[in-house]
This record gives sequence, structure tokens and C-alpha cells, in this order.
Amino acid sequence: MKLPIAWLRDYLDVTLSSDEIAARFAALGFPVDDIVRRPVLSGVRVGRLARVEKHPDADRLLVCTVDVAGPKALTIATAATNVAEGQVVPVALLGAQLVGLTIGPRKMRGIDSEGMLCSAAELGLEAEWFEDGILQLEDELEIGADFTRMFRLGDDVLDVEVTANRVDAMSVLGLARELAASLGARVREPETHRDSNAERPLGPALVRLESPDCTRFVAQRVSGVTVRPSPFWMRVRLALAGQRPINNLVDISNFVMFEGAQPLHFYDFEHVAGGALVVRDAREGESIRTLDDAERKLDSRFLVIADEREPQCIAGLKGAAPTEVSPATHELLVEAATFSGPRVRRMSVALGLRTEASSRHEKGLPLGLSTWGAARAAYLLERAGASPDAPFVAGADDAPPAPIRVAVASFAQLLGMTIDANEAAGALRALGFSVEVAAGGDALETVPPFWRGDVKIREDVVEEVARVVGYDRIESALPPVLETRVSSDDYRNESRIAQALATRGYREAVTFSLQPAALQRRYERAGVALPGPVVGILNPLSEDQRYLRFSLLPALLELAAKYARDDAYRVFEIGHVFEGDPEPFETPGVAWLLALPQSAEPAWRDSGFLTFKGESLAFVRALAGRDAEVVSTAQPGWHPGKSAALLVDGRDVAVIGAVDPRLLAAFEIDVRVYAGWMRMADLPAYRAPRYKPASKYPTVARDLALIVAPEIPALDIEHAVRAGGDGAIADVRVFDEYRGPQIEAGKKSIAVRVILQRDDATLTDAEADGHVAAILAALHERCGARIRDS
Amino acid sequence: MFSDLTDQLDALGARLREALASAGDHAALEGVRVRFLGRSGEITQVRRAIGTLSPAERPAAGKAINDAVAQFEAELESRSHELDARALEGELALAIDVTFPGIAPATGSLHPIRRAMEDACRYFERHGFAVVLGPEIETEYYNFDALNIPPDHPAREGLDSFYLRPGLLLRTHTSPMQVRTMQAHPPPIAIVVPGKCYRRDAIDARHSPMFHQIEGLLVAPGIHLGHLKGVLEGLFREVFGPKQAVRFRPSFFPFVEPGAEVDTTCPGCGGEGCKTCGGSGWIEIGGSGMVHPDVLRESGYDPAGVTGWAFGVGIERIAMVRQDIDDIRVLFENDPRVLEQLA
Ligand SMILES: [Zn+2]
Repeated sequence: MKLPIAWLRDYLDVTLSSDEIAARFAALGFPVDDIVRRPVLSGVRVGRLARVEKHPDADRLLVCTVDVAGPKALTIATAATNVAEGQVVPVALLGAQLVGLTIGPRKMRGIDSEGMLCSAAELGLEAEWFEDGILQLEDELEIGADFTRMFRLGDDVLDVEVTANRVDAMSVLGLARELAASLGARVREPETHRDSNAERPLGPALVRLESPDCTRFVAQRVSGVTVRPSPFWMRVRLALAGQRPINNLVDISNFVMFEGAQPLHFYDFEHVAGGALVVRDAREGESIRTLDDAERKLDSRFLVIADEREPQCIAGLKGAAPTEVSPATHELLVEAATFSGPRVRRMSVALGLRTEASSRHEKGLPLGLSTWGAARAAYLLERAGASPDAPFVAGADDAPPAPIRVAVASFAQLLGMTIDANEAAGALRALGFSVEVAAGGDALETVPPFWRGDVKIREDVVEEVARVVGYDRIESALPPVLETRVSSDDYRNESRIAQALATRGYREAVTFSLQPAALQRRYERAGVALPGPVVGILNPLSEDQRYLRFSLLPALLELAAKYARDDAYRVFEIGHVFEGDPEPFETPGVAWLLALPQSAEPAWRDSGFLTFKGESLAFVRALAGRDAEVVSTAQPGWHPGKSAALLVDGRDVAVIGAVDPRLLAAFEIDVRVYAGWMRMADLPAYRAPRYKPASKYPTVARDLALIVAPEIPALDIEHAVRAGGDGAIADVRVFDEYRGPQIEAGKKSIAVRVILQRDDATLTDAEADGHVAAILAALHERCGARIRDS
Repeated sequence: MFSDLTDQLDALGARLREALASAGDHAALEGVRVRFLGRSGEITQVRRAIGTLSPAERPAAGKAINDAVAQFEAELESRSHELDARALEGELALAIDVTFPGIAPATGSLHPIRRAMEDACRYFERHGFAVVLGPEIETEYYNFDALNIPPDHPAREGLDSFYLRPGLLLRTHTSPMQVRTMQAHPPPIAIVVPGKCYRRDAIDARHSPMFHQIEGLLVAPGIHLGHLKGVLEGLFREVFGPKQAVRFRPSFFPFVEPGAEVDTTCPGCGGEGCKTCGGSGWIEIGGSGMVHPDVLRESGYDPAGVTGWAFGVGIERIAMVRQDIDDIRVLFENDPRVLEQLA
């Protein structure tokens, strides 16, 4: 909220600079977002126009004789049209500094002008909000006084952030109390109408409450009202606070709200049908014509203040035209009410309207502020010449907040710093609490002031003391190391996966979980099934973020489309994917992707797949501590003939393979792309591999060139070799494949390297030959393989 | 005649020396050895000539030949050493352009967000905290109600959320894991929770509807705000550098009381004031406070027996500040050139 320091100083003498004040507020928990610097003004006095005459040589100019209580009256020529003899106005003397100009002696059509009469703009005020022409001041001001100092026009305006719990501080007085506490000073409380605090009078009921959402309503009749402009001191305060001055009635209502946080509403009492108001839910079919001349339809969501005919106000939000204050208003009914914050908020949302009043009501005003607000308005109206009645109160008592007992030890317990009873009591009293130190001095009996509805428990009081004493006094300490039973396994797994993939050349990406419909449409267009029903956002911010991702793959494909070029491109992402309808659920997992430039290869070979498979197996091995089995699989999103499941201990761990070419087309990708996906839940626990001594005896390697039917998988050949090798196989590697004219049609040639070794002795050539013969027999029997003729 | 033999040996020696001189490598040297001293080499021809000598001359002739052979072998050996020395000299004289680009392996990397997250978690793991993860889909109960943020509470305003259906939303902070963890485990609790959060903020240089937070929670007898200050100092020293300080400012979060906004020394200027910190020397980095008694009670803990604190710090903020990233969107573009640079 905008806090004019000029206004703040009504309640507190401060000599600090704007920056120092801002720092104080920040330390109290009210960060200052901006300091609006006021222009430097000087040499402006309060003057009276002793004489106003026409300029002898210029129709448009007037020549004024101006009394500024100096040795002699000044002669000032002006082109303003709103000047008249007897007016009190701001006068800039020769040498005065105004906004954008310095006043020097001027000849105006032969007359020596010794200064200037000032309008709002020259004094750094919003021109539109003040009279057109020369500012009009009150008669009772001291002539010759320093105008800038009198109205503190040089004081800056702070833009202060107020947290949601401190509606009382959405006010100049509330913030003044805070600053005072920090300075060890007390504020000058503004005066209120004394009758206002009298007992509830007898007499006709002015208000009836029919809804629990209005807890308290102070109604006050004020007669003898005359509508006219407010005095300059009030207008300038409102303008600096960002509120346009209107007339004395509207201005008082706003002034009280900005001053003390209690919003008011003024009704033209002569137009209140039946002479009384009722607070109730709006009825279906009712409507209200508001001040901006809009007809608004109402329903039971709305809480209204109605006369016997129709709603005259939407509670806390907007008044109706019939009872609006007008120049003809003679008698007022002042409303100072406490409404349910949530109710006002819901109405504000429904109307799409948020006002200074509603933004205070919706935070929940303390009951006591309504009493204060009505009394303060009555005082100001009385000063404006009107006659307030005693207030009429409906609803709850403005009982003071409940007392809170705070053990002095609480400060050390919660803050880790020692604050003694006296220091704490002093801090609380400065904030308006009443405090008694319990006998023995180990506890404080505190009662928060009526405006502090937010202070309810011991911890709240401790915070109040800490704020005043200063959070800077909290000293760093290290807590004891505790033994906690909570497991870090999920996080460890994520970390290990990220590390294992990064080690293998994959770059981690973080993409948005919120995605446009376009992504699932690409799947649909490609004819690729989605993993499950896609989860939508009920209240998306934009079409781009309408759905939750159903897979990590689309985002990685988009990255591949954008970044995969002539080199290999590797990327991975760890994140949650979402599915389900109506009950949404999420699955944490990891996807990794390899994109390779196109290369000419025979149809039966895909070297990219082999690269990807090799990397994926190494990745799983690093995570599980044991090798995965590879079994061909078919999964939506992958090429049906080029994808495989990875199994550890017979359980599915991951799916890998070439991405479905229809998806590649849908994402406009023209390189080869391979992807893998693993659910976190499927990640096998790492098992440290067992030691087996390496054989001390030499190995014998034999390469076999085999001819087999093309459908025989390499894994079968490997199994056959092991089966025939009678335990002498140290390793088997299928390392080459050939199909083409050099061998017979309808067959493939497979090269296998067999590594033979004994654990207990050196293998002889004869033994090796024997093993090879047995292996060939097994290959023939199991795979129909025979040796390729050289 | 003996003198013929000596002449022959001399002549052979001369030819041998000539051949040695022109043998440029070990293979050629071996050729020379075979030609002159091999089984069927020239020396064998000379040895055969011994048979034509008188018996009296033979011993001297034999000795002369053996001496000559010894001499020839020494010369071969010396030539061999000479060749070795020359080869080594040549090898040592080789020089390559060491500035020629190396052949890089495929390099992977962790995302800057994960780096910041892991650096933060590492600090806490060293201090006995467990690191737990949680769901991104949350109930209103855990996201709001259990955290002392009832319906229509004004504090919900700043936590404008994405709903999946009434009562179910994307978590707006990592704080729901406070109550989830406390409900599942008795005190003491020492955890940090890194993870994604979502708020209905339009994306711009400073805001993103999806972002990462790290939540901390310590609940045990005797825990106070001083411990939070100490731990946060440690955290920021871990992620930003050894000179970091922490400043608390009073603030309001419904699930803590007293509450504090957390500032740390601006790492950009070390507290001197710069553009990053708007001249203040401090950067805002998170919210914190003592866990509200209502939250402890909701978690089944007795506020009379234990106290605790909680904090939430933005992970993007850490990554951005320490890596000079001035636009949060850079982190979600995943441009490999940028990821490489930031890794
Ligand atoms: Zn800085």
C-alpha cells in the first residue's frame, strides 16, 4: 500500500530519511517495494489575494496584490481564471523551486510579476484530481507560512508490502504504530467522536442482521451535512496515498479507511426506504444499480445491505445509486461493518471487482475497528459542520482479544536468544499490548490491542517481540545431528540414474510437465496409442499448458527435432508422467534418447539400435550391478520390430528401441532416433556382484563362421555355443553378420568368437579342438547352423 | 699361402665396412651379418681356404680368421648401437602440434537445476538429514488445510494453483511433505524435500508455472530459529561460496510462527550491492519459520514436547544466481550448447 510519509508524520515525529524508514519497515516485516521520490519544492508560501484587478493591457491576464506577510505585498500577474479577491492560495516567491521550473522575475505585458500562484501540477500533485487552475486553501491557514513544509509536500511516498495477516497495517496509522514500536516511541492516536463510545442507545433500530456473514454493524446517523470540497490537508493526503479526492463526504469515508483500515459506506439517509437497513443474502432475481450506472443481477451468493425496498449496497464492495451521496445530501447513515472475509472474497471474484474496501474486508477485520471507524468518521464529520447521533450497534460486542500467557523461556525456546521479561514487555507495550509481568518474572500476561485480531497464541506473541527486538539478534547455531528413520532411497536412485546416464554421454533436460493438446494430437495423427487417458488441468493458464504430460518422450522428441543434426545427440529426462481419468495418478520415471544421422544400411541391420542397446545395457548394469536380459517386445511408441524389453532377474526393467517411424514423421524428425523408458519403481536394487577368481591359465580363441537361417537370433547361437562348450567357455561374442551373394540364398552368415579356458590347467590344442567339435554339433542341432565354406 | 689369406681377410674387412656404412637400419645390418659372417657367408669361403695351407700355417691362419671374425662382430655391434642412437635421436626430434583439437568422448551432463539440488542435498545429508521425494499431484488437505491454510484464507491467494478436479491439484510448494512425513514417522524428523512445484504464473523472465523448491524440516525437542540460521548459512556456503551470511526478516506464512523471509549475501557482489540484488547486497531466497503448533498437532505431534522449523528455497534461484542466468526460461529450453556451457 502507498504510505505517504507526510501522512505518517501526523501520528509520529520522525526525522529519519525515507531510506532509513524503509529499512525499519523491512526489518519489521513490511518490505518496501518502492520509494516514490517527491520533487524538491521550495519558496512557496501561503498567501492571500488582497486585490485582484484586470491587467491594463491584456484581457486574459489578472494582476493580483498578494499578501504573504512579508514587508510588502507582492504583485503577481496570472492567467488563471479561478482567482478572486480574498482567496488563500499557494504563492511561489522569486527564486522558488517548483516541478520543472524556478521562479524568476518576469515582465507580463509591462507588469513586473514578483512570483507565481501555484496549481497542483507545479507542486507535483495529480493535476486531474485538483481544481483546474490555482489551488484553493482554507481561510484559517496562517498567511506567510511555508506552504511546502506545512503540508509536507517534500516527503516521499513508500510502497509498502503488507502480509495477508495484517489487515490492521493496511493503514497509515497501523504502519505508524509499527514504526513507533521500532523507534521506542508512541503514536498520537487520532481523535474520535466522544459520544461514539457511549452505551448502546435506545431508539429505532437502524440495522437488522439476517446473515451470520455480518458479525457487527455500527450505524450512525449524521445530520446537517453540507457537501463541498474537503480541506486541502485531507485532499493532499488522499492524493499522495493514490486516492482521488471527490468531496468532503466521500473523502472522509476514504480517509478513515486509509488512516485506520476500517472501510466505511455512507448512505443518503433520506433515500433509505423505511429508514432502516437489513443485512441479508440477495434474493434470486434481485438486481442492483451501482454507482457506475451498471445494472448488476444478484443471487444468493451475494450479501447485501438493503432498505425495505431493494439492495442498496453489495457488502464491502459497491454501493447503489439511489442512496449514493450527492450534492443534495443532508443526512447520512454511516456504515462501519465487519463482514466475513471469505464471503467478501467470493463476491469479489464473482463480480470481477476488487476495491480498496474489499481488499481489507476479505482479510477479516477485527471487530473493534468498526467502533473506531464510526467514531472517527463522526469526529471528522462533526469538524466539517455536521451533527452525529450516538451510534447504533448490531451484532457482536467488540470484546477485546483474549489474553495470552507467555513464559519468558519461550523466547529462548523458539528463537534461541535470551530476551528478559522487561525487554519483552517493553516491545509488546510499544505495539499497543497491555502487559503484566507475572510474579516471579517468568511469564507475561498479555492482551493484544483491539486492532490485532491476528495475535492468538504464544508463538504469535513471541514473533511480535522478535520483530521489535530485531530478527538480526537471532544467532546461528548448528542443531544436533539426529538419527532419522526416513529413507532417502528414491532420491538416491534418481541421482544414480542421472549420474549413470550423464557418464554415458547423455545430457539431462528439464521440460515442462504442462503441455499443449498438440502433443497428444501428434500421437493420434500418427496412429500411436497413448499410454492412458491424458490428465487435463481444470483451470489452465493457457492452451500451451492445458494437459499434464502422458510421457517424457514427446518433449525429448521435440528437443531432437530442434537440436539433433549431423552429430549424435543424447538427452534424458527424469520426471513424473501422468495418466488416469477420473482419478489422476503419476509415475516417476526416466526416458533417454539417442539421435543419429541417417546412414545407408541393409534392411536387416540397424547399427544405431546396437549402439543404443549397448549404452542402455551398460546403464542398467551400472544401476543393478548385474546384466540385463534382452527380449524383443512391442510397445506403443516404439518400432514393433526394433524394440526390446530389458529384464533383470526375470522382471521388466526398461523398454528400449527405435522410435516408431510414424512418431518421427509426426514430430518432423528426419534422423534415426532410439529411446528408452524406465519407471523408477521398476529399478532393481543394486546388488554388489560376487567375487569369482579369474583363471590363471591362458585362453584359446576360435572364430567360427556359421551359415544359419536368417530368423535364428544371435542369442540362440550364443546359448548353443555355451551348451556345447561343456563349461570351458570363458566368453562368446557374436561379432559379425552378413547376408548377400557370397553365401547361399536365404541364409545369413554369422561370425562368433569363442573364448575357451580351463580354471585348473592350460587348455591343449587337442582339447580345444574337441570343444569346438562339440560346439559345432550343438549349433547344428539347436540352430541348424553349419560352418561356412571358405 | 698365409699372406694370401691375410689379404683376403683385409679385402673382406674393407667390403664389410663399406656395407656397414651403407646399412641404414637393423634389417640391412642383419643382411650384412648374414652376407659376411653367416653360415654360407663370405667368411666361410675364407675358412675353407685353410685346407689349402700347410699344416704349419693352419694354426696361425685359424687364429687370424677368428680374430678377424671377432673384430667384424665388434664392428657390427658398434654399427648397431650407432643405429639405435640415431633412431632414438630421430624419435626424440619428433614434435606434433599439441594444440590440435583432441577427440572428445560423448559428454553428458546434469541439468543445472539438478546440480543445484544435489549440492544442496549433499550439505543436508552430511548433517544427518534424509532426502525424500513426494507426489506432484496433491490433495487440498495436504497442500492447504493441514498447513493451516483453510479455504478462503487470504494466504491461498499467493498460491494460485492448477486443479485437476475439485480437491486435487498440482502442489504449489513442497511443504505438503512436512505433514506427510510427520504423519508417517514419529519425531525426531530431519528431512529435505527437493521437487517440482506449480503455480498459476504466466511465464516470463522471473516466473515459471513449473519450478523447483527444496523444503527443509527439522522437528525434535529443543530446536529453535538459531539452528535454522546456522543450517541455512551452511547451505548457502555450500552452494554459493564460503562468505555467505543469512538475514531473517519477519514475514507471514500460515504454517509457521514466528515466520521469516530468508535473505543471503548477494553472491554477485559479495554484499557490496549490484544489479542482481538491486543494490541491497542481499538476495531473497526463501521463506521459513518455526512449524506452527496447529501443523504439529495435525501431524500427530505434541507441540509441548517438540519444536521445529521448516524452510523452502527456490532451486532455480540458486542455479540462476550462481551461474549468472538472467532469465528462468533458459533453464527450460535445454539448448545443448547452453547445457554444455553450464555443466
Ligand atoms: Zn549484488
